[in-house]
Amino acid sequence: MNGIALRDEVHAKLEHIGSADIVIGIPSFNNARTIGHVILAVQAGLAKYFPACRAVLVNSDGGSTDGTLDVVQQTSMADFDAILLQHRVEPIARLAFHYTGIPGKGSAFRSIFEVASALDAKACAVVDSDLRSITPEWVELLIKPVLEHGFDFVAPLYHRHKFDGTITNSIVYPLTRALYGKRVRQPIGGDFGFSGAMARFYLEQDVWDSDVARFGIDIWMSTTAIANGFKVAQSFLGAKIHDAKDPGADLSDMLYQVVGSTFGLMERYAPIWRPIRGSEAVTTFGFEYTVGLEHVSVNTARMLKLFREGLANLREIWVDVLGQGDFGEVEKLGSQSDGEFRFPMGLWVHVVYGFAIAFHRNKLPAAHLIKALTPLYIGKTAAFVLQAEQLTQREAENEIEQLCAAFENAKDYLVNNWI
Amino acid sequence: MNDFMNLILEPMQEVLLQFGTFMPNLLALLVIFVIGLALAWLCRALLVRLLKVVKFDSWSDRMGFTTLMRKGQLWSSPSQFMGTILFWGLILITLMAGLSALDIRAIDHLVEQFFIYLPRVLSAILVLTIGYVLAGFLSRAVLIAAVNSGLHYAKLIAEAVRILMSLLFLAMAMEQLQVAPDVVLAAFSILFGGIVAALAIAFGIGGIEAAKRVIESELVAKPEEEAKEDVEHI
Repeated sequence: MNGIALRDEVHAKLEHIGSADIVIGIPSFNNARTIGHVILAVQAGLAKYFPACRAVLVNSDGGSTDGTLDVVQQTSMADFDAILLQHRVEPIARLAFHYTGIPGKGSAFRSIFEVASALDAKACAVVDSDLRSITPEWVELLIKPVLEHGFDFVAPLYHRHKFDGTITNSIVYPLTRALYGKRVRQPIGGDFGFSGAMARFYLEQDVWDSDVARFGIDIWMSTTAIANGFKVAQSFLGAKIHDAKDPGADLSDMLYQVVGSTFGLMERYAPIWRPIRGSEAVTTFGFEYTVGLEHVSVNTARMLKLFREGLANLREIWVDVLGQGDFGEVEKLGSQSDGEFRFPMGLWVHVVYGFAIAFHRNKLPAAHLIKALTPLYIGKTAAFVLQAEQLTQREAENEIEQLCAAFENAKDYLVNNWI
Repeated sequence: MNDFMNLILEPMQEVLLQFGTFMPNLLALLVIFVIGLALAWLCRALLVRLLKVVKFDSWSDRMGFTTLMRKGQLWSSPSQFMGTILFWGLILITLMAGLSALDIRAIDHLVEQFFIYLPRVLSAILVLTIGYVLAGFLSRAVLIAAVNSGLHYAKLIAEAVRILMSLLFLAMAMEQLQVAPDVVLAAFSILFGGIVAALAIAFGIGGIEAAKRVIESELVAKPEEEAKEDVEHI
């Protein structure tokens, strides 16, 4: 119990607790408004589905100043009888602390892994602290596949609006699936279940002083589990509704963090993904049901204006990255009218692979390269919105499925150019 | 007759004597040059190998060095190019050191001047190199950020950044070389200040309407459809 990410007082508490069957981790930073609901859902889930297990709830906080830690310590379900048929046998221990190390979600997770390792936990889960749609069933769906079915990693499966999660839908999911051959639909979902062995494996990796500590922990966890041959499953959790996003968050920064992490992992696991072709479904837990989703508005005209600005100004970079042939195809898109704007799947696949290859060859500083992808991504997103406007959720999902197939079919292009 | 012979032989003896004194110096020059040549060749080989190990070529690709070389019709790899520069630099220094061994006053003065000026040339080259890399990096960063922010004159802004940065570093290099420092300083101040003032006036006058719109949009509530753009990318 001498992990460097934990303070001495936390070690003392861990000594006192001794061991646990389940550890649920909640990373937070100024989430006093929403974390109470998450704590209640987790408590109810543990009481309802794992009444006999020794459980510890861990809040790893990034230095909140809005009383998040107080909310965590004070939130407790007054009357379990109202929602449960049976009483919990074991009490739920609680640990809330400020993590040490580089500020970021990765460092928060690291301290949760340390707690899980120190308590020799059998199963763990991490859930976001700004969730509004979390229910007690999430705990069961993330923990049970580990405890009862021997899985090491459980990714979430949500129903989301067809226009939401576009980085996941157009880049991260198709790319991860084509690379590693596993159909994990939400590799950057943020709510995961994993075994104690998996937590220890994460902890042993030499990444905690790198960017993984700051951002990209979600794709790192998913990819590490898949690429290292751990048993992977996914659980249907329903809808994912969380606190309103930060309106000041810059899209190109977001893209840099997510795509940069994904490309970085491609470097590390190249010997593993190069021979893989096609993909296979992973075991899915949970009963899939239709959920009501909030309306999403999209201003495609503004998006297409940004795409065209990119085309006019980033020509040299795009030619260098994509080559004259693919750039010529991108250039043709600029002359399409707003209403008829379409981004061919095959071209998008070449764009993503082209940027991955350029990242591999260090053609530009990573931040410049990936941020230069932003107008192309916006163009692709606008095209998808225009195309999927009249489609049902299922039809839109089929479009994503076709995109994934296009990524898989063109994998030879990536492998052959990965020199 | 003897006098006549002396008249002929004395200068010849003098020449032979001077030649005898000069010969060891010439030999020293040749030895220094041969050793210098060997050392320069070795240093070039070591530098090229070191630069390949630290992946200098790909760094140069990223920083735009390779592009600059190609524009100047230089087709070797950047690490080879650096090796060549080092090689000829060392040859030049060796030659100067060798010439000073000849012990000729005029050449000694030239060599002295060369070695006094050499650090200035090297620091000017360093300043220009850093300036080129930094100007390219910042200009590209500004271009990408401006495009992603939807600014219409992204390329113009990025080019302005590149020119201003280049001017700044060029003036610094000239100052290092002590080439008319007062004139360079005055010219730079006038040019740099003039560009900044011109940009301020241009943006000030040209941007009145834009500024008005920004202020109005901050004060007046945004239309419903604009405010409700809520696609979630992750």
